[in-house]
Parts: sequence; C-alpha cells; structure tokens
Amino acid sequence: MQGDPNPLKYTDIHNDVVASIVETGSNYYVALATALALTLICFFFPWFYQLYYGIGAAGMNHPGVWGTYLASFIFWIGLSHSGTLLSCVLHITNSSWRKAMYRSAEAMTLFSLVVAAMMVMVHVGRPWFIHWTLPYPNQMEMWPNFRSPLLFDVMAITTYITGSTVFIYMGSIPDFAAVRDRTRGWRNTMYSLLSLGWRGTDREWHRLHWAYTFLAVLIIPLAVSVHSIVSWDFAMSIVPALHQTIFAPYFVVGAIYSGTAGIVTVMFVLRKFMDFGEYITELHFDNLGKLLLVLSLLWSYINIVEIFTGFYSGASGETEALRYRLFGFYAPLYWEMITFCAVLPLLCAFKRFRTSFVPMLYLSIAINIGMYTERFLIVATSLSRQYLPDAWGLYVPSAVEISILVGTLALFTTLFLLFVKIFPSVSMYEVKETMDTPKKIPAAASGGSLA
Amino acid sequence: MTHFVVGLFGDPESALSAAGSIQSADLGTPELMSPVPIEGVEEVLGEKRSVIKRFSLFGAIFGGVSGFLLAAITAVLYAHPVGGRPIITFPPYLIITYELTILFGIIFTVIGFFVSARLPNGLWTSFWKQDENRPYVPEAAVDKFAVSIGCGVDDVQRAETILRAAGAEAIRDGTEGVS
Amino acid sequence: MSFLDRIAEGWRKNRKPGYYENFDYHWTMTIDLDQCSGCGACVTACQAENNLPIVGEKAFAKGREVKWLRMEHYWEGEYPDVKLNIIPMLCQHCDNAPCETVCPVSATYHNQDGLNTQIYNRCIGTRSCAVYCPYEVRYFNYNDHTWDSPLDQQLNPDVSVREKGVMEKCTFCIQRVRQAKDTAKDDGRRRVRDGEVQPACVQTCPSQAMAFGDRNDPESNVSQTLAGPRAYRVLDELNTKSSVVYLKKVETEA
Repeated sequence: MQGDPNPLKYTDIHNDVVASIVETGSNYYVALATALALTLICFFFPWFYQLYYGIGAAGMNHPGVWGTYLASFIFWIGLSHSGTLLSCVLHITNSSWRKAMYRSAEAMTLFSLVVAAMMVMVHVGRPWFIHWTLPYPNQMEMWPNFRSPLLFDVMAITTYITGSTVFIYMGSIPDFAAVRDRTRGWRNTMYSLLSLGWRGTDREWHRLHWAYTFLAVLIIPLAVSVHSIVSWDFAMSIVPALHQTIFAPYFVVGAIYSGTAGIVTVMFVLRKFMDFGEYITELHFDNLGKLLLVLSLLWSYINIVEIFTGFYSGASGETEALRYRLFGFYAPLYWEMITFCAVLPLLCAFKRFRTSFVPMLYLSIAINIGMYTERFLIVATSLSRQYLPDAWGLYVPSAVEISILVGTLALFTTLFLLFVKIFPSVSMYEVKETMDTPKKIPAAASGGSLA
Repeated sequence: MTHFVVGLFGDPESALSAAGSIQSADLGTPELMSPVPIEGVEEVLGEKRSVIKRFSLFGAIFGGVSGFLLAAITAVLYAHPVGGRPIITFPPYLIITYELTILFGIIFTVIGFFVSARLPNGLWTSFWKQDENRPYVPEAAVDKFAVSIGCGVDDVQRAETILRAAGAEAIRDGTEGVS
Repeated sequence: MSFLDRIAEGWRKNRKPGYYENFDYHWTMTIDLDQCSGCGACVTACQAENNLPIVGEKAFAKGREVKWLRMEHYWEGEYPDVKLNIIPMLCQHCDNAPCETVCPVSATYHNQDGLNTQIYNRCIGTRSCAVYCPYEVRYFNYNDHTWDSPLDQQLNPDVSVREKGVMEKCTFCIQRVRQAKDTAKDDGRRRVRDGEVQPACVQTCPSQAMAFGDRNDPESNVSQTLAGPRAYRVLDELNTKSSVVYLKKVETEA
C-alpha cells in the first residue's frame, strides 16, 4: 500500500467495513433466500424424512455401514482446519498478510464445524440420544466410554468449537466496538453487548494481545490433534485399508489442504461480492497458491507412502484393498481425486497462475471436490473389502444422501451470509495496523506558510 | 469527584508524548485510547504485566488433571470390561487429558483476559453513558488517538494546558455523555 | 487402611482387573466343519428364536438382510472341478473385542459370562462397531421392521424387538443362558451343568456339528474339543481371542 498516490486512510477502512454490514443490497437478500430455501429443501426435509424412516433412507448396507455422511463429516472438519489454524500460525509468526483475510477464514472454521456437528447428528442411527456421548451425571449412572476413538472426537470437537468461537470473538471485540458507535437501534444494542464495553485503552490492547497470543498457542496443537483424532476413528480399527499409522498426518495434511483451498474460494467470493478488492489482493492469492503447492506435494507424498506400505506388506487383505481402490469399482473416483489433488495444483508453480483470480477459484473448487472424493473413498473402498470375502459388498449413495450433501453446502452458505452481516468480515484494527500510522500534520510547516 | 480531561490527537506520536508529559507533571497515569495498539506505550507509561499467563497455566493444569480423573473415575464408578482392556487405560485417557488441558486452558485464558482487561465494563449495557469513571471517545475507535486523565477540579486547567501544548486537536470533558 | 493405600489398591485393581482371565462362565461354541452339511437349519432357528426381521426383497437386494448367523460360501476351483466350502459365521464373542472399545456410549461390553453383549436401549447407532468388527457379524436396523400376520404370533417374548437405528448381533441366545442360570440357582446348584443350555442354532443342528459349553470347566464337552488338533479360530492373527472355535474339515483325497 506504500507508494500509492492515494493511500487508504483509517476512515476509509472504517466506512468500507461498516458499509459492508449496514448497507445491504437486494442481491444479498436474494442470495440469502436462495441459500435458506436450499437448506430447508435439500438438508432439513430429507433429514426429517430420514429421522422418520430410519438410516435406511440412505444407501448404506451391510458391509458399507458408513457412507457419505461420515465422509461429509470428515470433509467439513477438514475444511475447518485452515481458518483458525492458519490464522494462529500466521499470528504467531507475525505475518501481516494474514490480517485482511483471517476473520472470514476463522468464520469458515466455525461454520464448517457447525455443519460437521450436524453431520454427526445426520449420521447416527438415533440422534435423539446423541447427548449420551457427553460426560454428564445422569440418573442411569452411565458415563460415556472414554476408551472410544469416537469419544475422543466428541471431546476434541467440543474443544475445537469452543476454541475457535472464542478466538474469532476475541479478535472481533475491538471491531464490534468500532461498529457500535456507527449503528442505531437493535444493531447498536447487539454490538454494545458484543463489544463488552471495549474502549480501546492501552491496557485493553495489551491484554488483548497477550490473551490472543495464548489462545493461538493453545489452538495450534488443538487443531492438529482434532484431525489426528478424526483419523483414529478409522486407524484404530483393524480393517485392512484403514489400520494405518500414516493416517493421522495424512488427515492433518489433507485437512489443511482442503481448508486452504476453501479459503481461496471464500476470498474470491468476498472480493467479488463484498467490494473488499482493496484489502484482499493478488498478494493473498499468491501466498495461498504457494501454500497449496506445498500441501499438494505433501499430500501426494503421503498417498505414495500409503500405497507403497500396503503393497510392501504383501498381506492378502492389504493388497486386495489396495487393488480394489486403484482398479476396482471406485477406481474412476480414485483417479479423479489424483488428478484434482495431485496433478492440477502443480499449476501453482507458476506465479501467473497464482495471481490470476478466476483460475485460482476453479483450482480451489477442484481441490475440494478431490478432497471430498478422498474421504468418500477412504470410507467406501475400505469397508467394501474387508477380511471375509463372503461379506464383501458395494455401497452407492442414495438420493437422500446426495441431497443432504448439497444441503450442507447451502447450510454453510446461509451461515456465512448471516456472518458477513453481523461480524465485520475484515478485521478493521489489524488492517489499520498494517498501514502507516497517521503522521503528525507538520504544524510548524503549515504555520510557516501562513507567516 | 474526579474530573476526566480527554485530549484528542491525530497521530499516535503526539498522543504518546502528551501522555508522557502528563505523567511527568504528577497528574497520575493517563489512559490512552486508540483504534490500533500503539507501539511504544510501555516505554512512556512503564512496563505492563498481565495475569493472563497465570490463568492459562492454571487452566491447563486444572484441565489436564480433571481430564484424566474424569476418564478414570467415571470408568471406576461403573466398571464394565471392554475389549480386554484394563478399567484405567493410559493411551486413550491421555488423549482425553490432552483435549481437556487445552479446553480449560482456553476457557481460563478468556476469564483471565476479562479479569485483567476489566471487561465487560459499564459501556456494556445500554446505560453506558452513565458510567462516569470510564470516559469514552467514539472517534478513538476510528482514527483518533485520545489521552484521558482523571484529576481533581484544581488540576483540570493544568491538564488541559499540557494536552494543548502537546498538540491536542480537541479537549473534552470526559464525564460528559457522548453524542 | 489409609486413604492412600485405598487409592493404591483401587489403582492396582483397576489396572489389572483379573476378570478377563477369570470369567464366571466362559461360554464357547465349537463348530465342526467336517460334520456341517450347510443345510442352514441354524440360520432359520436363529431367525425364529431371536425375532430377526424379515427385511423383504428390496432391502435384501440392497444388502440389508439381518442374519445373526450366516452361512459363508467359498468356492474353490473351476467348473466342473469345483469344491464348496461352507463356514457358519456368527458373533465370535471375542475376549479382545474391537467393537467394544469403539462404542462411545458403552452399548456393547463384556459381561461376567465372557459374552460380548449388545444393549439395544443404549445404542445410538454410530455403526462404528460394525466397521471395527473383522467378522462382519454386526447388523444394523436401517428402519423399523414389521411382521405380517401370522408371523407376529411367533415372536419370542423373551427377546426384545429392536427399533430402527440400533445395532444388533448374535447374543449366544443370552435369554436361554439366563434361564439356565436361574434354574440352576433355583435348584440350589451353583453352576449350570454342561449341556444344560444350548443356543437355538446348536439345538437345531441336525448333524450335531455345533456344541456349546463353558470352557472354564475342564470337563465340559467344548473344553475337550478345544484341546484337539483340528481346533482353530477364524482370523486368529488379529488377536481377537474369539470364543467360537471351528474344527477343521478332514480332507479326503478322492
């Protein structure tokens, strides 16, 4: 921003961000209504049908007891991984390019987690008893089984939702305070409550800085553990293609990978439709592109390791599962995944590609399609080929499942659309920090000209 | 009764120097209000220490201990054999310990932040204008840097002079409500 | 005893509970594959005894049949020189059951008879136990089932009818085991006699290929068989320590 003949001033940012909240065009309402309608029709309606009928509304069967619901769960948890994690890492390493984009990235984390939690509800057979997985004293004197990988999940995701909520909220307090004075009516009340009476004193800034840093330090290991734990849902079993030590790093890398791609998508949309072009620039796409390249190479490496170790073991179960994944019924999906996640991202090696917005959008969407396929394949191919050949089977998703998959996207979009009107979606104070502070108007000089 | 004198500045350097002069004039420690954290506050107003880290540490230790105990004690309370494992199993319970360490670390960090930053304060409610001890300048959330000093009636004049000398664009009575 | 000593003692007790080595009973089933003719009477008996749903044609085509005991068929060789191997597959009641550890709500656990139990009321339907089971013997209720008249008249009153969203599996006819233990208690005996209790499949097997008993009792029928050279366990290399023991088929070269 330096050297710009018409540099941005603090007030410009303020006005832009406040405008993004209070000035709402008709396009926004159309988008919100569409997303809401899609959520109801594609997500809630089929889900209610499934609640009434039973999980049989989905396509799962005897060996394939897990399906797209679990794949979606992992996918959304994975998508949540870049927001808060990336934001924390960049905060600790003092990277200033984080500042314009981290608020929306963290929102992405939060809403992905909400959708993932919904997917758990959709996945289980009797969601009306889901509270039994929480440790609370009850009249049955029954506690959850803390030895279960699924309970690690419950603990990890609860912690993660708490952590990301706190993190995004704490980072927004100064911005709520800034918006508070510019709004009237219910918005004023809401922001007054949300900002907790923030005045921007030196004491408050100091405390915020430290609390924020401590949170970042706590959340980084948490985020890594969350996806490791999700991978242990699979890796702790003794199903041939799932019982793998590489799974924890594989899932963590995959999660950050798809999350980063998700951030690119969201950045593009914000840039395009929210007039944040001045804050979200080619620099961000360039940096995210580099990150995508590194992650895609890591991801490819882990895939090669997975195939190699399976092949090298020579165990009949492992080799059969591997053969089935590479050349069996689901093979087209596998090669689609390899194309989208390992081959296409190599384009990020070129700076011209990284700094062009539309190709990056397509790439990010392709990566996330590939990553969804990865999760689906992990579930579907492994369960179809287990130890006893007589129990081999095939799982194909039903219409209800596909509808709910589309519905989760709509649900996420709805939440995000609500977010941009409530939260200042670009962090005002941190963008201000990256700019030059207002300079003293040279009083002597102006006085001199008068004299 | 304490009167609050608030000086508004257009840039952080003048605000800082004003704060420095106020302090050296024995008017007490002034409060700075700014839209962004100001670099170098600690050099002028003295080093700040916060209790947040103690909260975080306590929370993490508390969470870790209670995490393991939660898993171990609930398993003992209603012992049922599962998968040939002991009732108190280490590897899984350590994961629970790990997660709860972080959970309580986070929760206590937040509590520590609220306690040490003295939030939420009177501005929190819609009756915030009545809070006389916490002067507030809305411009300080946009692009102005404010220095506020609470002093007795006798010192108001002196404080205003110092602020003006440091280049304040405007002087306000902090006890007044904000328009 | 001081407080610390009590904690130390509790710690030792809960670290090495001991009951894995020493169940009250250790129910075991042996299946002699040499005697098994693959008639499938056991499958039908199980269906009748345990209120297994008749899922219907559509659900069957989707692969959702519920058979606590199923006949696995393995063909060897090319036509016309083919051989059919049959192995009845049911819950193996593993002592180191992978399905038990994964249940988040402890809906499946090991009881004092060494049985792997499934508590329908507690199950929330995560289906993870079915994934973790290497024998694929856990069946999920994908929807509520109906028994058309007069089938509803033959439902076993001792066995609950499972609702949708619940996992189920072979129980070694736990209702019969309970009954036998109650009878033994009423008669003033401490133990159930060998052969006094038989699951439906064992009872119905026309070639008497299956046997059921307590392997804690060295005199019992199954204990004798277990020592034999033909005894083996399916997927023994996974260290599940299963309680169903198969007896190898005796190969006769034609």
